[in-house]
Amino acid sequence: MEQKEQTKTTAVKGTDMARKVRGLVKNIYRSAHEAKAQGKKVAYMMVSSQYDEIIRAMDVVPIPTENYAGLCAAKREMDRFLLKAEADGYSQVLCSYARIGLGFDSLRKELGGIPEGAPDGGMPTPDMMLGSSAVCDPRYKWFQAAGRYLDVPTYSIDVVWPPVDADLKAVRDHYIQYQKEQFQGLISFMEQQTGKKLNKERLWETIRLSDEAWRLWYEIDRMRVAIPSPMPAQDHFSVMVAGYYYPGMQEAVDFYQSLYDEVKYKVENKIGVIPDEKYRILYGGGLPPWHTLWIFNYFESFGAVFAIERQYRAYDPVEVPSSVKDPVEFLAWRSFLRATQFYEKARANSGNPTVERLLGMIDRYAIDGVVFHACRSCRATTIGQVHYKNILGRYTDIPMMQLVSDMVDLRDYSEAQWKAQIGAFIETLAGRSAR
Amino acid sequence: MPFAGIDIGSTMTKAIIVDHEERILASVIGPTGAEHRHLALKVIDEALQKASLAMEGLDFIVATGYGRISVPFADKQITEITCHARGIRALLPTVRIIIDIGGQDSKGIKLDNEGKVANFVMNDKCAAGTGRFLEVIAETLGLKLDRLGKISLTAEAYVQISNTCTVFAEHEVTSRLAEGASIPEIVAGLHEAIAGRVINMVRHLGMEKDVVVTGGGAMNIGLVRAIENKVGFPVLIPPEPLLTGALGAALAGHDFVRRGVTPDHGRRRERVTFFQ
Repeated sequence: MEQKEQTKTTAVKGTDMARKVRGLVKNIYRSAHEAKAQGKKVAYMMVSSQYDEIIRAMDVVPIPTENYAGLCAAKREMDRFLLKAEADGYSQVLCSYARIGLGFDSLRKELGGIPEGAPDGGMPTPDMMLGSSAVCDPRYKWFQAAGRYLDVPTYSIDVVWPPVDADLKAVRDHYIQYQKEQFQGLISFMEQQTGKKLNKERLWETIRLSDEAWRLWYEIDRMRVAIPSPMPAQDHFSVMVAGYYYPGMQEAVDFYQSLYDEVKYKVENKIGVIPDEKYRILYGGGLPPWHTLWIFNYFESFGAVFAIERQYRAYDPVEVPSSVKDPVEFLAWRSFLRATQFYEKARANSGNPTVERLLGMIDRYAIDGVVFHACRSCRATTIGQVHYKNILGRYTDIPMMQLVSDMVDLRDYSEAQWKAQIGAFIETLAGRSAR
Repeated sequence: MPFAGIDIGSTMTKAIIVDHEERILASVIGPTGAEHRHLALKVIDEALQKASLAMEGLDFIVATGYGRISVPFADKQITEITCHARGIRALLPTVRIIIDIGGQDSKGIKLDNEGKVANFVMNDKCAAGTGRFLEVIAETLGLKLDRLGKISLTAEAYVQISNTCTVFAEHEVTSRLAEGASIPEIVAGLHEAIAGRVINMVRHLGMEKDVVVTGGGAMNIGLVRAIENKVGFPVLIPPEPLLTGALGAALAGHDFVRRGVTPDHGRRRERVTFFQ
C-alpha cells in the first residue's frame, strides 16, 4: 500500500524574489558537483562560522551541510537519512541536521555513490570538512564524527565571544587576537589542501561583496516595519540563502538589490502579504519547521502575518575601525563586534541581548504576538526560549506561544496539536484587539 | 432566547443550553468515541429534549473541543481555551489561572482582569500529564478511574513514578508493585507525577490566585490535593468541572448575538458518520 502524500508542505511566498531562491539552492549543489568534476576543491561547511569569505577567496566551493538537511525536510526526503544515522548508533536527540548529514554520508559510502533520488543531486564527496564551534556544540563534533564515512581532512575553528557582563574594553583585544589566530590556522590548513596561497586582495573583495549583501538585506528588513507587511517570515527563511550561502559573491548583492527594489515597491504601493492584515507576529526564535513551512500560510488564513523574525538574523551590520588594514584581522574584529553589538543595550535594560533584540522588534514592527518554535533536537536555539518569554513578560503583555516539533524530524511534529494551539492563539489576539 | 454550547473532547462530549439570562436549561455528558460527529447530534438532541426545545429554537450554537470542526449544526467553532475562559469568567470571576486536565491534553490558561485569555500553554503531543495517563495506569492496576482519588488519600507516602512517558510509567508501576509498594502509594505517586508535569507547564504563565482546576482531572480529589501541594494554596473546583467548556461555548454564542453576529452558515442536522 502506498503512503498518501500530503499535497502541500512548503509555504506560499509573498515576494517574487523569494520564489527565485529555489534556483539559488539548486545551484549550490550543482556548482559543487561541477567543481568536483573539474578537479576543484569542495568543502563541507557550516553556516554562521564567520569564515565564508575565506572559503570563497581560496576558490573552494562550499557545501552547506545544514542547508542540505533543511532541503531534505522541505522535500520530505529526510527519513531514510535520519533512520540510517540512528541505525549507525546516533541518538534521536542528537541535532537532526547532523543526523541527516551523517546518515547521508553513511548511505553514500554504503552505496558507493549518491543515494538515488537524493534532493538536488545530493552532496558530492568533499575534499575537506570545515567545522566551527559557532552556534552549538554538535557542530564542533559533527565533521569529526563524519570521519567514519569520509577519509578527508577536517579543520574546525573556534568562534568566540565574551559573556554579556564582560568588560568589553578589557577583553576585546584578547578575543580579537584569538579569533584572528583561529582564522590564520584555517587559512594555513586550506593553503596546504589547495596548494595555493591566500590572496589578501581577493579576500578584501569577498568581504566587500559580503558586507554589501548584508547591508542591503538589513535595509530590506528595515522596510518591513511597513503596514501592511510587504514580506513575511517564510520569505526570510528563503532569501537567507543568498546571505548565508552566497556571501562574498556578486550573486548575493544582485539578489538583495532586486529584493530591495521589490519590497520598496510593495511598501510604496501598500501591497501587503495578505489583503486583510489583522495581526503582526514576531517569529521569536527556534529553527524554522522546514518540514511544514505552509504553517505560516495557515496563520495567514486567520489574518496573521509574520512581520519579522529573529532566527537566521544573527547580527546587524557593524563598523570595523578604518585603522584595521589586514583582512583577516578585519574578520576577527567583525566577528567580535557582531557578537557583542547588543551587549550595551542589554546591560542598560533587561540584561539579555536576545531579549533586547526581541523588544526592539516588538516595538518597531508593531507586533501583536510572539511565536517561538522549540526544536527537540536543537538545544542551541531552544534553550532559553522560556527564559526569554519570562523576561519579555516584564516589558510587554502581548501573547506569546511556543510550538514544539523539530527543524527537520517530522516524528516530533503533531499537526493536530499545532492547529489547536494556533486556533487558541489567534482567538487570544482577537480578544485583545476587541478591547 | 436559548443558546447551546457543545464541547467534543477526546473522551467525553458535553452539551449545555442556557437562556438569555444565562441560566442553565439543560446539560448532557456523553462518551465521544470514534464516531463523534454522530454522537454530537445525539447529545445535543438529548439536551434539547431536556430543555423542551427544538434545534430551530436555538439562537446560536457554538462548538468547541477537539471535535468542534466536525459539528455540522454549529453556527461557530471556537477553541476550548477561549470557551473555558468564558465559562469560568461566568462561574468564578476571581480566577486568574485555569488548569484544565482533560482526556488527552492538559492546558493552563491565564486570564486578565476582565476574565479574557491573556496567555495559555498546552502539553505537547504526549499523554503523560493527562487523564489518559491515569486511565492506562488504572487499567494496569485493575482499578476504576473514579476510585483513584480516594484511594490515594489513604496513602501516607507516595512512590516516585516517572512523568515523562505513559508507556514507561506503566512498566514502572509494575516494577514498584513487585518491589512491594502499596496501591495507594503508587496511585499517590501517579498524582504527584501528573501534578508535577502540569504545574511545571503552567508556571510558564506565572502562577496567580485564584486558580481553578477543570476537566476530568478536577474530579480526582487525590490529583487536586497534589496540585494544591505544588502551588502552595487551595485551588477552586467548579460545581461541574466537565462542563465549563460547553458552558463557555453557550455563553460565547450569547455574546455573538449581543454583538449582532449572524451564524456562519445554515445548520445541517446530518447524522454524519466516518464510515459512510
